[in-house]
Amino acid sequence: MLELKGVTKRFGGVQAVNGLDISVAENEIFGLIGPNGSGKSTTVNLICGIYPVTAGEIVFNGKNLAGLPPHKRLRAGIARTFQNIRLFPNLTVWQNLLVARNSMEDVHSQSFLARWLGETRHTRGEIESILEFSDLADKADDLASNLAFGEQRRLELARAAAAKPRLLLLDEPAAGMNREEVQDLIHRVRGLRDSGITILLVEHVMQLVMNVTDRICVINFGQKIAQGTPDEIQNHSAVQEAYFGTTAGDPD
Amino acid sequence: MDAYHVTVLSNIGMISLIALSAYLLLVCGEISFGQQAYFGIGAYISGIATAMWGWPLWSGMLAGGLIGASAAAFVGALTLRINGFYFSIATLAFAEMMRLLLYVFRYQVEIGGELVGPDGENGFHGIRWIFENDISTVEFMWIIYGVLASVVAGMMFMERSRLGRIFRMIGQDDMLARMQGVNVLLYKVLAALIAGFIAGVGGSLYAHSFTYIEPQFFNVMLGVHGLAYGLIGGLGVAFGPLVGVAIDIGFLEAIRWIQGYRMIAFGGLVAVMLIFWPRGIFDEKRWYSIRRCLRRMCGAETS
Repeated sequence: MLELKGVTKRFGGVQAVNGLDISVAENEIFGLIGPNGSGKSTTVNLICGIYPVTAGEIVFNGKNLAGLPPHKRLRAGIARTFQNIRLFPNLTVWQNLLVARNSMEDVHSQSFLARWLGETRHTRGEIESILEFSDLADKADDLASNLAFGEQRRLELARAAAAKPRLLLLDEPAAGMNREEVQDLIHRVRGLRDSGITILLVEHVMQLVMNVTDRICVINFGQKIAQGTPDEIQNHSAVQEAYFGTTAGDPD
Repeated sequence: MDAYHVTVLSNIGMISLIALSAYLLLVCGEISFGQQAYFGIGAYISGIATAMWGWPLWSGMLAGGLIGASAAAFVGALTLRINGFYFSIATLAFAEMMRLLLYVFRYQVEIGGELVGPDGENGFHGIRWIFENDISTVEFMWIIYGVLASVVAGMMFMERSRLGRIFRMIGQDDMLARMQGVNVLLYKVLAALIAGFIAGVGGSLYAHSFTYIEPQFFNVMLGVHGLAYGLIGGLGVAFGPLVGVAIDIGFLEAIRWIQGYRMIAFGGLVAVMLIFWPRGIFDEKRWYSIRRCLRRMCGAETS
């Protein structure tokens, strides 16, 4: 579904991503891990179009994404979350989800007024079910900036899901979460996958990565050093050297 | 109501339109120091239309608004690709360029034995629509407030719409808006276009209220005031800028002992507001709380 072929990104003299090949299959949860500064976030930014690639190509559903601006990539079906939570702080929870829905072309509009206000019965229903799924139904009228940390994390996930993506890029969704919250997140990520969304997960928190992914790719210095199932990766010597060795005893 | 109060109230109404115009761009996160250019374009175009071509006020006003809107969209399409300070400086440069062009703009025709029309630095005399149609200053004041009320109502309606929410999205985090599928440049140009229209309509009223305009009226201070009104009154709701105008012109002008020091008081007020309430009295959060309170009091259930 998503293919990176020899993707390279240079910032001046820094080689952030170097000849990366990744292939994510339909409806898979694919993990991308690596030590700090290994190029994970840059890879996400390349896929959603914040930066252009220096070399190589990114193919999504058989279509080369080169030159496609970010807003068109969302319409093509790629949504993302951010490592540091990004919401529209002065909009309510409901409005945050509504604007996420509205930026898509809505073919179900009923009347001119409904289309103008952007709140068709269809969108309302969808947002209600997203709120339900995210356990935010009682917070619908609260400002996003007034939510607790965990709720903001859930809203960010909900916001990305509201755009009805086919591919969801999760950039460290468990950052700053405790064990119970991570457990909760595992269920949510699985739930999103079960609803038909393919997920590319960039993460440090092993509790999440090892429990939820189907396959994992490990990168270091912008290059792939290993790929396989969670079990294979855990026992891989190069990975232990590059990754686990540096974070041993610190699961978070 | 004596002539003085009519003049002050008319001024409040007309200046409110340039404040609303600057406000719309502030909502989108852009600071424009150039809205006075579209106000000036509106004034000149509508003046030419009524005084020289014999159009009625309404079509002159519409023409002023539309030309203002097109100019704003044109400038916006060129400058909104650049962000922050660079956009502010580009708008200022354009507005100054427009003003200097007006100094050399001459287009006059003879009507009833005298030359009428823009005459460069001598300004544009004889925009006599209100005399010709026997409209008193009080009646014209009501015209101004009628137009202002429709613009505010239109903006409040827009704020509740998809379009208004997209403007706020862009203003709060344009990167995130882009990631959520919004064509940010397109919507910013659209905001500039609407803002240009509002300023152009304001300028049209201004030309007909004063019957004489000159390039110097449309200098940068007009635009700076327009911006400041939004920042004082608040960026959370469309009547915020009106509160800002009322505070400056209504309150500071009204207190006689302060009049000589009005600019000092105004400058101080802006500085204090920027430190304590950077997004104005009715900012997004306060307006949200107010609406929440009102809703609870009324017991309504709409969102």
